[in-house]
Amino acid sequence: MKLSRSWLQDYVDLAGISDDDISRAITWVGFEVEQVIRTGAPTFNNVVVGHILTRDKHPNADKLSVCTVDVGASHGGVRTIVCGAPNCDVGNRVPVALPGAVLPGDFVIKEAKVRGQPSSGMMCSAKELTIADDAQGLLLLSGEPAVGTPINDVLPAGDVVFDIEITPNRPDALSHLGVARELAAWFKKELRYPEVSFTPAKIAATARPDLLQSVRVTAEKDCPLYTATVVTGVKVGPSPEFIQRRLAAVGLRPINNVVDIGNYVMLEYGQPVHAFDAKKLAGAEIVVRHAADGEKIVTLDGKERALDHHMLVIADAQKPVVIAGIMGGADSGVSAETTDLVLEVACFKRQCVRSTSKRLGLASDSSYRYERGIDVHSLDEAAHRFIDLILAHAGGAVAGPIHRVGSTIPWEREIMVTPGYINEKLGFDIPAAEMRAALERLELVVTEEQPTESRGPAWTFSIPSWRDDLERPIDLVEEVVRLYGTEKIPSSVIQSPGLVGNDDPIVLFNRQVASALVGAGFHECVNYTLRPAKEVAAWAPAAQVGALALANPFVEDQSHLRSSLVGGLLESLALNQARGVAAPRLFETGRVFLDRKGQLSECVAAAFLIAEETGERSWRPREAADFYTAKRHAATLAALAGIELDRQPTALIAEGNDTARAWQAGHAATAGNIEHGWTATFGLVSLAHLKALGITGKVYAGIFAIASERVSGDAERRSYKPFGLQPAALRDLAVVVAEATPAIDVQKTIAKHARAAAGNAFALESVEIFDVYTGKGVPEGHKSLAYALTFRAPDRTLTDDEVNVAFNKVQADLAAAGYTIRK
Amino acid sequence: MQDQLAALLAKAAAELPALAARPDFEAAKARYVGPNGELTALMKQMGSVPKEQKPVVGKLVNETKTALQAHLDAALARIEAAELAARLGPAVDPTLPSPDRGLGTHHPLTLVREEMTRILRKVGFTVVEGPEVETEYYCFDALNTPADHPASPHEKYLLRTHTSSVQIRTMLKGEPPIRIVSPGRVYRRDTTDATHSANFHQLECLYVDKNVTVRDLKALLDYIFASLLGKDTKTRFRPHYFGYTEPSFEVDLSASHLPKVNKPCYDPEVWSGYAFGMGLERLAMLLYGIDDIRYFYQNDVRFLKQFA
Repeated sequence: MKLSRSWLQDYVDLAGISDDDISRAITWVGFEVEQVIRTGAPTFNNVVVGHILTRDKHPNADKLSVCTVDVGASHGGVRTIVCGAPNCDVGNRVPVALPGAVLPGDFVIKEAKVRGQPSSGMMCSAKELTIADDAQGLLLLSGEPAVGTPINDVLPAGDVVFDIEITPNRPDALSHLGVARELAAWFKKELRYPEVSFTPAKIAATARPDLLQSVRVTAEKDCPLYTATVVTGVKVGPSPEFIQRRLAAVGLRPINNVVDIGNYVMLEYGQPVHAFDAKKLAGAEIVVRHAADGEKIVTLDGKERALDHHMLVIADAQKPVVIAGIMGGADSGVSAETTDLVLEVACFKRQCVRSTSKRLGLASDSSYRYERGIDVHSLDEAAHRFIDLILAHAGGAVAGPIHRVGSTIPWEREIMVTPGYINEKLGFDIPAAEMRAALERLELVVTEEQPTESRGPAWTFSIPSWRDDLERPIDLVEEVVRLYGTEKIPSSVIQSPGLVGNDDPIVLFNRQVASALVGAGFHECVNYTLRPAKEVAAWAPAAQVGALALANPFVEDQSHLRSSLVGGLLESLALNQARGVAAPRLFETGRVFLDRKGQLSECVAAAFLIAEETGERSWRPREAADFYTAKRHAATLAALAGIELDRQPTALIAEGNDTARAWQAGHAATAGNIEHGWTATFGLVSLAHLKALGITGKVYAGIFAIASERVSGDAERRSYKPFGLQPAALRDLAVVVAEATPAIDVQKTIAKHARAAAGNAFALESVEIFDVYTGKGVPEGHKSLAYALTFRAPDRTLTDDEVNVAFNKVQADLAAAGYTIRK
Repeated sequence: MQDQLAALLAKAAAELPALAARPDFEAAKARYVGPNGELTALMKQMGSVPKEQKPVVGKLVNETKTALQAHLDAALARIEAAELAARLGPAVDPTLPSPDRGLGTHHPLTLVREEMTRILRKVGFTVVEGPEVETEYYCFDALNTPADHPASPHEKYLLRTHTSSVQIRTMLKGEPPIRIVSPGRVYRRDTTDATHSANFHQLECLYVDKNVTVRDLKALLDYIFASLLGKDTKTRFRPHYFGYTEPSFEVDLSASHLPKVNKPCYDPEVWSGYAFGMGLERLAMLLYGIDDIRYFYQNDVRFLKQFA
């Protein structure tokens, strides 16, 4: 919200307080100052009106002149000033910055010599005074202002506009009066309310029969209070200069006196108001009702709006004329011909205004204030101010009574608090008198005071109606410390009891993943959670894309929740490739959204990619990554979650797999199932997909996702298991199997038979594959897999004989099971 | 016999130093001292040496054996040394860069988050996590935000707008005292520009205990910023360090009392606490001097490499 300094000055005396101090005060009381905008001239010291008496050419410089300038007796009378401007002609009255003046940009004016000629000040251009961009010549002052007059008395008054963010808990501060109240409290000044002279008792004229006679509210819940006043005989025209200037300063375009005064009252009190052309209302009654479904209105912005029965309207006998609290209709607006007005000042429920505004996609300064909540108990005061200003600046007279519908339950809220309580919550002491004074400056009134044994006086504060946010004693602590000055809170040492808890398992997992992958040369990325539809369609099963879509995306390319992290990593890779930056290895940890039992579930995930084409060259090339590189890193991710990937069934991603379209069929694999808690997919990214993304070279990637409740964090503390100190016996075994046979199946079969063959006498320690061979000696469509078997006994050295007996049995058993042993 | 021994030793002394390969050496060794070796053969002749000469010849045989063994050992050592030397290539050029991949890097947001959680851990805060898609209850209702509050949209599920929902979950789950920090991703309906991002990261702290005061909050903030920015850092509740960030402490102080939670143990007369938060992007921008929030989400490797 934008606030004008000169406007605030009406309610609190800010004279002598710098803009910076005001800005600081606004910040200290709890609002963020986003911007300070100055309009017109800043305040100058030692810059006065001067009268050029003589002008001579500078003896040493073509373009300079030496002038004598009268700046008034109190400023040293006639001074000699060297000037470079073309228009320093005799007789001109110009701004003169005297020695000691500081111009914008911290430009200090001193007694000086310019090319050997003494110069005692500087004549200024508009640009040097920062009131305009014109630097061509001196600012010529018209109207023969008296010499020596401070320049600010001559220049049009400037203003300073503070653009501040009002927190949602403080709708009372969405007005000049509200912020002035805070400033008055901070600077310990008096708050001056506008003088409102109108009272209903002053109404002299009776109601005109052709104009509004009554108001009916059929939606009391959404409109707790409605007031309408008829003013006849007004003259629509431009509003007074001060209103126009103030509105313009805070960014509102002046329109006419009636509209401007409405805006003025809203920005003054925070209470939105509205003025109708009374003659344009059909019939003699205003009805505040819900709209009929399909009912239409053309709003002031010229657009037709279709309404429904949730929306509240102000209607005449025929049609809606205003969407309550949001925007008036084009038909009933005030025009140059308007002579009779209906002034509406009302309270509409914030939920109603909010949902209507959202449904229609229509917001205004008025709806903004209603949505945040207005103080119904200050409504009459604002209404009277509205009438006052209309009568003063548009003329006319109030005709008939104020139509006021709705009962206001009297505002009453009291909070009891003691200085002891406040000091206890603060952890340091503020004198009781200072506390009380601070709260009273915010117009909290002590209605009762009782002594207590040890905590000072128990004050009962009556809370003003506009401070609905003050509900509990703790809220008053905050008010006290706010006005005491948070910067004055003394420092102290931290009292820290030891807590046994550890960091969340998810945090530990992410931390371990990051350090493992950083150790393996991966750069950590952070991508947006919300992804474009196209990307999600590539990574999520088709049936789930709909579930991932946001109900109301803010921007088109962030319309879906992500189901994979790989899409984001590819986007990062593409960006780096486009910029010619090597991005060989990237990873990310974060949440993904996967379907579990028909419902979207937020899962913990980590993903990585390895790009073949990095643009980097090396004097000694290293072996390129392949599917098994991706598998290794995927296994690392799984291992960090306590899952041994090599022991899990792993399925090749085959052609036509709907759930994994962005992976390359035949070159990527998947393990686990999120329905059972986790899933991993790794391998080559579909070449077609890479091509579509404009990525060059192959990309291997992997993602591991786990249900958040399955992340277990600290594993159980391991127990020591004895390990054999006896020598091992090794045997190699190669079998020929059909090409499609998974190696893990062969390995398991060998292990099963080897374990059986070793029996109880000794143990099979491991079976490890060490060779995969196709070609000469192996039939077409088959492959040879060679395994190293390690046997060991815990208590003795195995003899060759006993191992051979077992090994022969293994081979015989395998042959019996249909395997061909390769000799 | 004496002559034969001397001749044998002379032959070995000439032959052994010339041997270059291990097989030649093994063959030579067998020829001299193997079961059928020349020295072995001579030693077998000892039986036929006259009794009176035996001490002299025996001594000579032993001396020859020792000398021969010395020649063999020297030859073997030389051959082994040559073999080791053969396993090495030419000397390296130590000025060439390693072609192997170096370490990767942590994202600056991770670095700042980890630094903050490390600092907070020292004073007893543990890290908690919570879902990013929240229900209205945890995101707004439980935080004492009225249902018709302008900040509360009306979807059933929503992307959390702050990590305070995690605090609510923790408070409902556990008993005080609670000291937690909840870093995490949050969402706003903001158009992305140099200072705004549709999602960003917050770090919020919650402390609930008996007799927690505003002054304690100030002490903690002093400690945090001294840890981050150096011991001499003077912290004010609204320091100008945050002049260009969100009004962290302004919001924070106003939220510095216990949010209302419907749980009997949270009697505000018994338990008090504070909560405060900050934007991690803003903090990282401040600490590293980054001037555009979008860089965090573009992942240009030149950017990522700067903070390791």
